[in-house]
Amino acid sequence: MWRFLQGLILLALVPYAQASALTLTEVSPGVYVHQGVHEDLSEGYHGDICNISVVIGKNGVAVIDTGGNLKVGQALHDAIRQLTTLPILYVINTHVHPDHVFGNAAFIADHPQFIGHAKLADALERRRDAYIRSNEQWQGQDFAGSEIVKPTLPVSDALEIDLGGRQLALKAYPPAHTSTDLTVYDTLSQTLWTGDLLFIERTPSLDGDIKGWLNAITQLKQVPAARAIPGHGPVSSNWKSALNDEQRYLQTLLDDVRASIKKGEVMEKAMDTAASSEKGKWALFDIVNRRNVNILYPALEWE
Amino acid sequence: MVKHSVGTPSMMLGKWIIAGMLLACSTGAWAEASDKLWPVVKEAFFANRTIEEVPFIQLAGPRRAESGAQVPVTLTVNQSQSPAAIKNVYIIVDANPIQLAATYHLTELLGNLQLSTRIRMETDSFVRAIGETADGKLYMSTIQIRAAGGCGGSVDGDEAAIRAASGKIKLNVENPVKFGQATPATFIIKHPMYTGLQRDLVSQGFRPAFYIQKAAFTYNNQPVMSVDFGVGTSEDPYLRFDFTPAAPGTLEVHAEDNEGAKFSQQLDVKNAS
Repeated sequence: MWRFLQGLILLALVPYAQASALTLTEVSPGVYVHQGVHEDLSEGYHGDICNISVVIGKNGVAVIDTGGNLKVGQALHDAIRQLTTLPILYVINTHVHPDHVFGNAAFIADHPQFIGHAKLADALERRRDAYIRSNEQWQGQDFAGSEIVKPTLPVSDALEIDLGGRQLALKAYPPAHTSTDLTVYDTLSQTLWTGDLLFIERTPSLDGDIKGWLNAITQLKQVPAARAIPGHGPVSSNWKSALNDEQRYLQTLLDDVRASIKKGEVMEKAMDTAASSEKGKWALFDIVNRRNVNILYPALEWE
Repeated sequence: MVKHSVGTPSMMLGKWIIAGMLLACSTGAWAEASDKLWPVVKEAFFANRTIEEVPFIQLAGPRRAESGAQVPVTLTVNQSQSPAAIKNVYIIVDANPIQLAATYHLTELLGNLQLSTRIRMETDSFVRAIGETADGKLYMSTIQIRAAGGCGGSVDGDEAAIRAASGKIKLNVENPVKFGQATPATFIIKHPMYTGLQRDLVSQGFRPAFYIQKAAFTYNNQPVMSVDFGVGTSEDPYLRFDFTPAAPGTLEVHAEDNEGAKFSQQLDVKNAS
């Protein structure tokens, strides 16, 4: 009985333990990564699923994505202060999704430049109510204090920022994973941050334009990076092969949904069958793939 | 004709604010669809009327919607089991800020109604199909769907291009057609279906509602079905329904948006050649 109670107590403590400490792992001198876990954006989501990175130059720090709630953002802030006292100059959001942006508020007091795609401010505004409501529902108290913080420095095409002896090249994309995708490249460490233009392990989720995404993949393959930090999944030196996997999934999804429409199959049927050859190769496949078909099918009916 | 009409838009506005307040009170922990909304919604649309749950109206949809923006639902009405012909069907989503997603006005050419569409869902909700007979009796089928974020959600993209493309229609029937038998027809109309609840950075407020209001289908000039759409119907409104063409002829649709723009399309329904 006591062991059972102990178990319950431990179980009750787990979410707090997760929220309070955030581990940053150095993957190259001055480049730190925290890897999120694979949870769906639904009940059971705790706000810590995307990859969060910190890049330190001679003059200051850049943060790339901030997690899905203020607590994660604060834990990230604490973890950065364990590493350096240099000012936090830039907070970069790779795109609009709530798991990447809702830790931003933890950095307001540092007065950094918040950087995002030129369309990010508008996209955040449009999604504000829905994001806040669903995140409150999913995360409950863990979401308290989280707010939308829009970019102060929008990127419409390309931008270079200097951290002191270290330049980060930012690039904005036409609609792909979302309509607000931004990548970051650090020449010094040859590290590429793809945002959610690259998923490793986790099923790629579509919220933009699948054809644009396939184009972005082709472009990303040209980057001379030694490693890539995907939006979700492990840091990879074998990232071009991961891009190939993602390309294969998206192309299969596109081909299957097109074929389904051509045959006159209804969307509900396509949701059961499209890209089923990819099942077993990705985490959260059944949930995310069906959602992708649900989003893609109505768009492709107009081809 | 409709004997008892449902609430006017201004009256509905007041009522959905009440429903919204109820909803706000019920959040907190993860909530299943709330059954507290229906008594309020029911009185808003069908004040003092009795509604009977029956098996001859069936609504089907996913238990959990993958995307709140495009939730596929299928409605069937077994007219032969109804005490009197169902003339109108109202689709109501309790927890949507604007609950009435669409009203379907039926004719005999539809036979036993078999209709699929896609609706928006703001959050977990009961979804109802309420059938109405000519003498005003009401019958209902209710399902529960879990969903998120379909109404305030985003329509990203270039405003001018979206407007220019709106009103384009695809109308098809499943071939080969067997005359005198139920034939599936598919209708899609390109339209953003702005809800009036979507935020807009440019105007610093909410983007005005802009949606397809009506679509009327005829076959050889005989009414088949007319539909009053609300913004609870998804972007690019989609309908797939069975109708029974007696002989070769022309299926025609006339649609209209809330700004008065009119769109139409016709399709020759022929013998297999």
